[in-house]
Amino acid sequence: MRKATLWILYVCATLLVAAWATITLTVGGDRSTLLIGETTDAHHQIELACETCHTARLFTDSATDSTTDSTTDSTTATEALNQTCRACHDDELQAARDSHARKLFRGPRMAVYRERLDVLQCTTCHIEHRPEVTRPGAVTVATDFCIACHSEGDQDVRTARPSHAGIEFDTCATAGCHNYHDNRALYEGFLIRHAGRPWLAQPPLHKLSERYRTAQSGQQARIAPLAPTSALTQPALDEWASSGHAAASVGCVECHAPSAASSVVLDDIEAHWIDAPDTAICEDCHEAQADTFVLGKHGMRRHPLIAPRRDPHRQLQAMGLLERLPSALVAWLRDPPERTRMTVAEARLAMRSDAARALDCGTCHRPHALDVARAAARACATCHDDLHSRAYFDSAHYTLWQAELAGDAPPGSGVSCATCHMAKARRRGKVVTSHNQNALLYPNEKMIRPVCLDCHGIRFAIDALADADLVLRNFQGKPSVHVQSVDWALRRVGTVDD
Amino acid sequence: MIEVIGLSAMKTVETLRPLRRTALVATAIALTVGVAADGVSYRRMADMLHLVVSSDRAAYSTKVVQRLTRDDPVLTASEYFEDESALPLPAQMFRFGAELVADETEELSYSLLSLYPINKKNGAGTELEEAGLQHVADHPDENFYGEEELGGERYFVAVYPDIAVAEACVHCHNGHKDSPRSDAKVGDVMGGVVIRIAMAPPPASDPGLD
Repeated sequence: MRKATLWILYVCATLLVAAWATITLTVGGDRSTLLIGETTDAHHQIELACETCHTARLFTDSATDSTTDSTTDSTTATEALNQTCRACHDDELQAARDSHARKLFRGPRMAVYRERLDVLQCTTCHIEHRPEVTRPGAVTVATDFCIACHSEGDQDVRTARPSHAGIEFDTCATAGCHNYHDNRALYEGFLIRHAGRPWLAQPPLHKLSERYRTAQSGQQARIAPLAPTSALTQPALDEWASSGHAAASVGCVECHAPSAASSVVLDDIEAHWIDAPDTAICEDCHEAQADTFVLGKHGMRRHPLIAPRRDPHRQLQAMGLLERLPSALVAWLRDPPERTRMTVAEARLAMRSDAARALDCGTCHRPHALDVARAAARACATCHDDLHSRAYFDSAHYTLWQAELAGDAPPGSGVSCATCHMAKARRRGKVVTSHNQNALLYPNEKMIRPVCLDCHGIRFAIDALADADLVLRNFQGKPSVHVQSVDWALRRVGTVDD
Repeated sequence: MIEVIGLSAMKTVETLRPLRRTALVATAIALTVGVAADGVSYRRMADMLHLVVSSDRAAYSTKVVQRLTRDDPVLTASEYFEDESALPLPAQMFRFGAELVADETEELSYSLLSLYPINKKNGAGTELEEAGLQHVADHPDENFYGEEELGGERYFVAVYPDIAVAEACVHCHNGHKDSPRSDAKVGDVMGGVVIRIAMAPPPASDPGLD
């Protein structure tokens, strides 16, 4: 009798757990306990938006047609998953001139290589929820994966390149010589072309920063601000008067009363006044910055391809259950509140304990002052507290930055956090700051072309970035690592260079 | 199955008048679309496709590269065209087109291969490719046709001789640090255009493919 009772309890408990798991996964509710493993640093802040990756529906042409199941019969679950990877990362790979782009491996002659390593699928090398095998860059494939295609016949690099004889395959992508995707600064022709440059250019100037900061200097207000008296505080006025907004004739109403922006009637403006405008108002004008902000870890929760909260009401109604279930249960099935902003507390890097804030435009740019100089370095230190960040303020880069801010050195000669992590780029004839601070972070050789080479020679840049301790010390000192790729490239073309 | 026939399609391209060339290209596209329904032979389909891709390459070489780098020199052409603000080399343009096709379909692919490739990945990758490239090297006036299985699929394969028509081609190939050959001359077969077409499973009563 006792045994039978235990069996009944066991079966009931199992059914309850299964029902809870099914409903939580498919209808609504907190799914954090159902995660099948810790997510990578790249995705942890969107790990509860499961549908972002685990269905192709949101990212296909039929996304706007809710009646169509986009996962066609011929599309496997793996392919659907990989489509979501590409939806977010394809632009970045294209910009990187991906050395192993999918299109290079799709023809029938590549079938033999695909059988060794299915390079058509991102998940061959990047699997989520596997912390035990995850390396930097969310890489989960074996470290010597290059051996699959580059160890036989004409493709055997050990015979094709005498310099590579005896080299182990687990060093290809870890020694600073090659990357799987982005080799724009590492390919042989590029190394040869830049090999002769000294370790430090004279004068060291970052050209796009020079152009950007020259345009920023000497800005003055051209208009008188119009706002309700109660809102016109002197500190706010002072900050605004020396800001880029004032120089660009952007007054109070454009942000605080956009629906009355064309009005000069104070009552009208007061009626539409918003004390604390949403960052959407920034995005209206700063499109380039907003577009890139959602690509980095600071803003990725706002990325348009991240799945929104589920609506349990709609799903239960579709199942005919909405009216039958108690309202308390329906309320329990709501997803946790949508977190559209990353918070400092959720970061996996070392952060200051007193930096309890969520990230949006105002986190780095004080709303009235904007102050791009502060946002470029000091603002970072109000949150970031890791060794590299702290060491910056003792570095030669920071000394140069201070000299530039003091007017003792020309625009573009200082090196702020943003100089390296939020590189400037040309966009429609203007120099704009990328707000994707992760774009050049990993592999760090991505930083060489848009940042390092303006001031440093390629040998020094490659060596410095390959020296992990030097990176931690924020480049105080010289590299203790030497990557031989430039030497080998020069030897191959017969140029003696020691 | 390996077949060899006489040919001069590639040479013909050089002398085609523009109108005739356009008509042929249109015909080739039409034939490509209709191959399954109308039973156009794989060989004929491959020949027409070769006409299209070789015509495009010839047009780019003469109307763009030759004109802008030699006749009215305002640009250079370079394999590092993205970093040197230069024009892509004709062989690179050919490859970019092939990559876009490969990205769209598994049923058709084409490539520019050689027994003496500058980039090793453009060498013969299968026994049939090697046989085809060797054949067109030995018989510059002939094409090479065959069938092979790759990745579990059967393909019709056609190889067309790729002949050095300009001194610039020879100069670059002979002088490139990765070229295994430095004695090429104008008129030599430098390699071959390889076209692959996925073959439909033959019906039980299939009398043959051509």
